[in-house]
Formats: sequence, C-alpha cells, structure tokens
Amino acid sequence: MISYQITSGILGLGIAGTIIVLIRRDHLHTHHAGWWLLIAFSIALLGIFPYIVDTLATYLNVRYPPTLLFTGGLGMLLVKALTIDIQQSQQERKIRRMAQRLALLEDELKQLKMDV
Amino acid sequence: MPLSDNAELIIIIPAKNEAASVAQVIADIRVHFSGAILVVNDASTDKTESIARAAGAHVLNLSVSLGAWGAMQTGLRYAQQQGYQIAITMDADGQHRAETLLNLLLPLEADEADVVIGACVERGSPARHFAWALFRWLSGITQEDLTSGLRAYNHRAIALLASSQATLLDYQDLGVLLLLHVAKLRILETPIAMHSRADGKSRIFSSWWAVGKYMVYTATLCVARGSRLPIIQRHSFVKSYD
Repeated sequence: MISYQITSGILGLGIAGTIIVLIRRDHLHTHHAGWWLLIAFSIALLGIFPYIVDTLATYLNVRYPPTLLFTGGLGMLLVKALTIDIQQSQQERKIRRMAQRLALLEDELKQLKMDV
Repeated sequence: MPLSDNAELIIIIPAKNEAASVAQVIADIRVHFSGAILVVNDASTDKTESIARAAGAHVLNLSVSLGAWGAMQTGLRYAQQQGYQIAITMDADGQHRAETLLNLLLPLEADEADVVIGACVERGSPARHFAWALFRWLSGITQEDLTSGLRAYNHRAIALLASSQATLLDYQDLGVLLLLHVAKLRILETPIAMHSRADGKSRIFSSWWAVGKYMVYTATLCVARGSRLPIIQRHSFVKSYD
C-alpha cells in the first residue's frame, strides 16, 4: 500500500509535465499557454498536497470536499469551452471574409491580365 | 425601360453545382436585361463556372464553399466595390422568373423601400407554413415569405449586408431580415409567381437531418436576435474585417 499522496502527486506532475512539454514543443499557441500553465500548476499543487482541497472545503463549508474539486474543474472546463467557441466564431468570420476577398482579388487579377 | 440596360443594377446568382440550369437562367434574364449578371460559383465541382461564363455572365469563384448566403454576400461585396446601386439576388435553379424582375425594381427606384422581396407564399407544405408562422412569432418579423431568394437591395441594404456583421449568417432568410429590421431599413414584399424547381429538390431541406439543423439554427436566431427580447439592448460587437 502506498500513500494516496504519492498517487495523486504522480498523476498531478504527470499531467502538468505533459502540458509543459506540449507548450515547449510549440503545439499550443502562446495565447493559450498561459491558461494551460495555470492548470498544470494547479494540478501539480493539488496532486502533491491533496489536503489543500479538504482545508478549502472546510473553510467554504462544503460538506463533501471532492465536490469542490469537481465543481471547480467543471467550471474551468466550461469557461474554456465557451472561449474556444467564441474564438472559433471569430475565426470563422475571418475565414469567410478572406475567402470572399480572395474571390474578388482573383477576379481583379484576371481583369488586369486581360487589360494588359 | 428601367430594366433593359440599367447600368446601376447587377443581378447576383449564387450557384453550387448548377451546371444543368444556370445557362437557361442566364438566357432568360438576357431576354429582359442586357446589364451585369454575376454568377458566384460556390466551389462547384461540375462545369458551372465555364457554362455560366459561356452564357455571358461574369463569374466569381470561391475557393472554399461558403454556402448560399456566403456566395450571395460575395456578390454583394462585388456590387459594393464596383459601385452598383441596386443588386437583385436570384436562385440558379430556375425557380425564379426573369420577367418578374421589373416588379422588384420599381419600388426601389421610386424609393418606397430599401429591400424588395419577391414573395410566393403559395409554395411550401403546411408543415413549412407552420414553421414560418412559428418563426414570425418568435422573431417579431412580419414578412410573409421568409425564405425567398429573389430579393432586390438598394445601396443602403447592400452596404449593410456586405459588412462583416452579416458574415456569420448561413442562409439568406430570417437572419438577413432581422439584420435589415434592426437597421430600420424598409422591407417591402411583392407577390410574384415562381416555377417549381427544375430538379424538384430544395438544397436547404435535402434531408430530415438538414431540416432539423435548419429549424434549430433559425429558432436560435429568432430568439437571440428577434424583437421578442426588447429588454436586451442590441449592440454590434462585431469588429470590421475586410
């Protein structure tokens, strides 16, 4: 039997390490890296010192501490999913504008070539 | 004649894989109108482009398919860029009759409206009429024909619809009407007759899945942008992209 602290510590550091490797290998735009670094740090911290959740839960008067962890985690995911969709919509708008502009420019180019 | 050689007018036809009908549509228009006809080729995989060009239309090619509205907006941006004062949009499937174009043009030239919709409310199943009634109620829009692709826009409407505000719309129906409505542009409906589609199939309502998607999309638009939610002040958050 090993202490649950070792299990959660390994898990936390593993996830955090993966995120940091991904950032370092340039798989994540720097723009998103900040958020994920924060997540990596939190996971590592809570993995090594899981009783932080218990202390915080007692302080916030949450009867069953793991719910605090799950609610917090789900909340973070919700925020992230929403921002992704907002950014995706902005990108969609830009892509459509660019495709339209490309069609207009191609036409202009064709006209210019015909004039020459 | 206000129509035959009107240099301020452009007719915009979005076309995706319409090789079978686009030449006839252009030929029909040519009987009544000798000015600018623009076909926006929405990344067709057939010969739509060469056929439309051979039939005497100017053709713009989209490198990726943007859907019917995306293609139409490309045409409206072209119209704005080239300084046309009036743009008429038409479907490429032969549903709209060229002889009805003048009916659309007259109210714009008399400055009685900013947008004229060629409405044909007789078409469509009872289910579709029920959906329209529901969307009208949800959005607070009073127009009868919500989906007609036959519309005439003046320069004010062209400027609004060519802007990036209208870029995230997917169909030329309620979203466009709501945008015009919010901008307080005058919309007029004029009854016209339509042909049944040459191939008899709607592009938007190609399957039950597509109908479902369309219903959810449009209902969301109605609730989010319609005038049933007057408490929420509408703002334009949209940044302008060229």
